[in-house]
Amino acid sequence: MIEQATIEGIIRILFVCIIITAAYIISTRNLLSVVSVYSLQSLTLIGIALALWSLEGSIVLLEIAVVTFVSKVIIIPYFIATIQEKIRIKRDIEFHFLSPTTSLILSMALMLVIYMALGRIIPGRDSLFFFGAVLGISLMLMGMMVTFSRKRTITKVLGFLSMENGVLLFGMFVTELPFIIEFLIIIDLIILVILTTILSVGIDSTLEDYHKRLHRFHLLDEPEEVP
Amino acid sequence: MNLDFFLYLVINTIVVITVSPLFVSLIKKVKAWTQGRQGPSIFQTYFTLVKLLKKEVIYSPNSSRIMRVTPLVTMASILVAALFVPLVFVPETVGGIGNIILFLYLLALARFFMALAGLDAGSSFGGMGSSREMSISSIIEPTTIIVFAALAFVFKTLNIFDMFAISVSTGSPSPSTLILIAISLFIIIVVETSRIPVDNPETHLELTMIHEGMILEQSGRNLALMELSAAVKMTVLMALLINLIVPFGLISALTLAGILIAVFLFVVKGSILAGIIGLFESSMAKKRFFQLPSLFAMAFFFSTLIIIIEVFS
Repeated sequence: MIEQATIEGIIRILFVCIIITAAYIISTRNLLSVVSVYSLQSLTLIGIALALWSLEGSIVLLEIAVVTFVSKVIIIPYFIATIQEKIRIKRDIEFHFLSPTTSLILSMALMLVIYMALGRIIPGRDSLFFFGAVLGISLMLMGMMVTFSRKRTITKVLGFLSMENGVLLFGMFVTELPFIIEFLIIIDLIILVILTTILSVGIDSTLEDYHKRLHRFHLLDEPEEVP
Repeated sequence: MNLDFFLYLVINTIVVITVSPLFVSLIKKVKAWTQGRQGPSIFQTYFTLVKLLKKEVIYSPNSSRIMRVTPLVTMASILVAALFVPLVFVPETVGGIGNIILFLYLLALARFFMALAGLDAGSSFGGMGSSREMSISSIIEPTTIIVFAALAFVFKTLNIFDMFAISVSTGSPSPSTLILIAISLFIIIVVETSRIPVDNPETHLELTMIHEGMILEQSGRNLALMELSAAVKMTVLMALLINLIVPFGLISALTLAGILIAVFLFVVKGSILAGIIGLFESSMAKKRFFQLPSLFAMAFFFSTLIIIIEVFS
């Protein structure tokens, strides 16, 4: 049997991996790397769920690990990789409002604020549950930043997926979400990615450019507005 | 100054000068392998340095004394900085040796003179290289300071000798902190030694030169000193990373057998890190100049995170 201190040490290392993947998703411009890192982030979450299961023995954590592996490590990355292959774009180099550097600095400030705020609510600043909660909310906000700072729709979707990873992390450590809710969230995500696939006509464009694309491919009957 | 410390000064200087060209060659070799080439011999950098040392020095007619003293000042300041980072043997610290702030200033002094020499010859390439180097420095130096501040927070000391002694005796800090420190220091190595994706040390193209631009006007033994100082600087930063993360092999008591084993282990660990740098360089393209801050921001982000955790927990 592995000692509790060792498992806690492993969970802390996995926390660091979550931070690294989140920072990478915010700053990288290569789409294929973003998808791979998202899979890696999900895999790290599975590692955390398994480590927590070995600490607490709750069967829900095992179920979450299995569902997360099937959906977020296999199905969703596969769908997104397929979309990327179809639309043949490799990079997302345009940003709205925030550059990657600003996003990183902002997320650092956000983490500090969350750390201070949660320190007043959750007792025991050194505990794993406190760090898990801080990291969960930070991951949600970092995902949100990816969603509104990226121009390409496909990266916005990846930001949203990363946000959901934050919800899962927070759920594992603080709120103990019922399994059925976690399962429904994952179904939502899969539907989101399927919708993304259907909309792949315009997914390589920006949201502003999408309407023009529909006209170009004769998918809209209305006459195109001439500026 | 006791005898142990005097021997440390001699041993550290000899080891750093001897192994630095080897690591440079190893990086070139790994890069060549990843490109499907055989690459130069791992002793090629030694041969090049010896050849350059035998050659005559030619100065531009526009150059001043700055051009003449820069190779000496650069080499001297980097060698003194190398004394701040024990490679194989950690003695009792004497005076200000090992102070992290002084260490950073010594690196900055070398960079300052190199930039001056780039401007001194009056060549447009040198001026451009100096200008770029100073632009990058103004962004990377705050990041470097934050990374070293994070180290100081983690080890609760400003002295590199004490940090290494803590690593060797009581064990390193938690692995999670070490991972963040390692990534930050790795980025600092890449940036400070002008390697891909910041600069390409193997090119002399006008559009990409930074470090090479500044030393373009150097020749003969002066060029050898500049090349060697760059190699020593890389080894010193590599040693900082290696001896903090994997202190295994560092000795605190001076014996001949201990020194030999420690040197061997340092060369092995350094070669592995050189291989990793080579692979990292091979997997990336040079970044555009205005995209570089995102790389520095990553090191800044991780180091600040360490400080936040250390201060508030």
